[in-house]
Amino acid sequence: MNTKALRYIAIIAPIPVIMVSLLLGASEDITIEKVFSFLFFGDLTDSELIKTILFHIRLPRVLLVFLTGGILAVSGSAMQAIFRNPLVDPYILGLSSGAAFGAALALYVAVLPIQLSAFVFGLLAVGLSYVMARKNNQVSVVSLILAGIITNGIFTALLTIVQIVSDPFKLQSIVHWIMGSFHTASWYELQLVILPAFAGLLVIFILRWKLNVLALGDEEALSAGVNPGRIKISILIATTMASSAVIAVSGIIGLYGLIVPHIVRMIFGVNNKVTMLMNLLLGGTFLVIIDDISRSFSGFEIPIGVFTMLICAPFFIWLLKKTNTGWQ
Amino acid sequence: MAMKEKPIISVTELSFGYNQNQSVISNVTCNIPENTLTVIMGKNGSGKSTFLRLLGGIMQYNSGAISVNGFELKKMKLGDRAKMIGFLPQHHKPVFPFRVSEVVLTGRASYIRFSPKKSDEYHVDRALELIGISSLKNRIYSELSGGEQQLVMIARILAQQPKILLLDEPISHLDYHNQIRILKLIKELVSNNITVVAVLHDPNMAYLFGEKFIYVHDSQVHEVKDEKPWENHLVNNIFDNELFPHEHDGKYIFIPKI
Repeated sequence: MNTKALRYIAIIAPIPVIMVSLLLGASEDITIEKVFSFLFFGDLTDSELIKTILFHIRLPRVLLVFLTGGILAVSGSAMQAIFRNPLVDPYILGLSSGAAFGAALALYVAVLPIQLSAFVFGLLAVGLSYVMARKNNQVSVVSLILAGIITNGIFTALLTIVQIVSDPFKLQSIVHWIMGSFHTASWYELQLVILPAFAGLLVIFILRWKLNVLALGDEEALSAGVNPGRIKISILIATTMASSAVIAVSGIIGLYGLIVPHIVRMIFGVNNKVTMLMNLLLGGTFLVIIDDISRSFSGFEIPIGVFTMLICAPFFIWLLKKTNTGWQ
Repeated sequence: MAMKEKPIISVTELSFGYNQNQSVISNVTCNIPENTLTVIMGKNGSGKSTFLRLLGGIMQYNSGAISVNGFELKKMKLGDRAKMIGFLPQHHKPVFPFRVSEVVLTGRASYIRFSPKKSDEYHVDRALELIGISSLKNRIYSELSGGEQQLVMIARILAQQPKILLLDEPISHLDYHNQIRILKLIKELVSNNITVVAVLHDPNMAYLFGEKFIYVHDSQVHEVKDEKPWENHLVNNIFDNELFPHEHDGKYIFIPKI
């Protein structure tokens, strides 16, 4: 199959996946047949209940999951481009744990706005990783990953402190949320996310071709008239804004932003002008599918972060072996 | 040798060092003539590449001044500078498997606000044609040989369409045939009103094609004014060897003392 056909499939795929996802769910009273007869034949038995479940529980959830998956993939891809490092994403760089700590702190203190706190600490975490990894104006592939591990460690430790001092009721919601879960998704949460998410995405999409220029190296970019520092900072702020916003409602979804860009590259190549949209669409679609599985797999809901980690970790190991990272 | 002496780059009292006690380039004053192939020669680590980077605005100098076409280099906007000066760095390894056409297209960045247009694609095709590597267009850059990659990077800088080309060892990875082909192409560009400054190591190629010579030695940059540049007193220092010139058809080749 050629790339063009695949591109069209990727563009159309979200629609059927989202539709099917609306039919799936835990509530036993609302069967697929009932939803069908309500939607297509105007059958009004239980119509109020179906309406509520479809439009106030399932639809915002599916949209939020889609946005989260798309943003993590786009952010991962953009970060890999600016750091010229195929092994980074919001999770590896410590952004996720930084944002998670920020959000937990906001849950605990209760006067801080969650989104803002997640953004500030997410940015702090990425900045910390970058500064630690930098030596003589160079950031090596491995040192950035190691710096990310340290940053992750620091913010996970801080997060533990917040958990210890929290009362049991708050603790439960913090723990559940850290594992990554969408069971509280609502229009309100979507509303919180939408502005920083779209602002961040807009900046990344405007700059996406320039990422190709940066990918060749700082000197090559400078000689072509592109200021690499300025683009890196814009991209870092944009990715942190968008991904910390979704992390603040979804919790930590580990490695997802690393794996999807690789799958997209295998299918569509490395030209960021094309792949950014594919990351958004496929990143969104895959996560919706994973979320479908996690909420219909068993009687209780398995946190989505657990699922993605189990799927993505072996993939990451495989990538690590395959990519020439210069360990020697 | 007809000297076209109108300078397009004027360097005045230029100094640069990575730290305070050690200067890589110190107190250099020299001119780069317009529409000429100027060859920079010097030992490894003598500061040639640093000097070229300073001329290209890739690195900022500590003191002194560089003026390009009458404009102070430091004050030029990045995009304007890129349209005026193109800089070809030494070899590097890319991380992502971009296609050759995508790599060359990045040379057009100073003409592109957000996203490339049809006209940019046209310049990419033309540059590939000029270098004679149109057949590589859809190949993956990182899978090419070192020499092919070098040709692609030269095509990239041509797609940028600058008035001045600064080339850091442009033929170091090329085979003999391609070395001569690229140097001939450079001479052709020079006759079409392009100024070229190139770092070359092979004295045969350098003296055969070069029109003006700059020797870099001990953080000093020397403009060579001799009629026969290989008779300059610095030559033995630069090659750390004696060169014996042999004339053929009014051209010279050089045999080292071994």
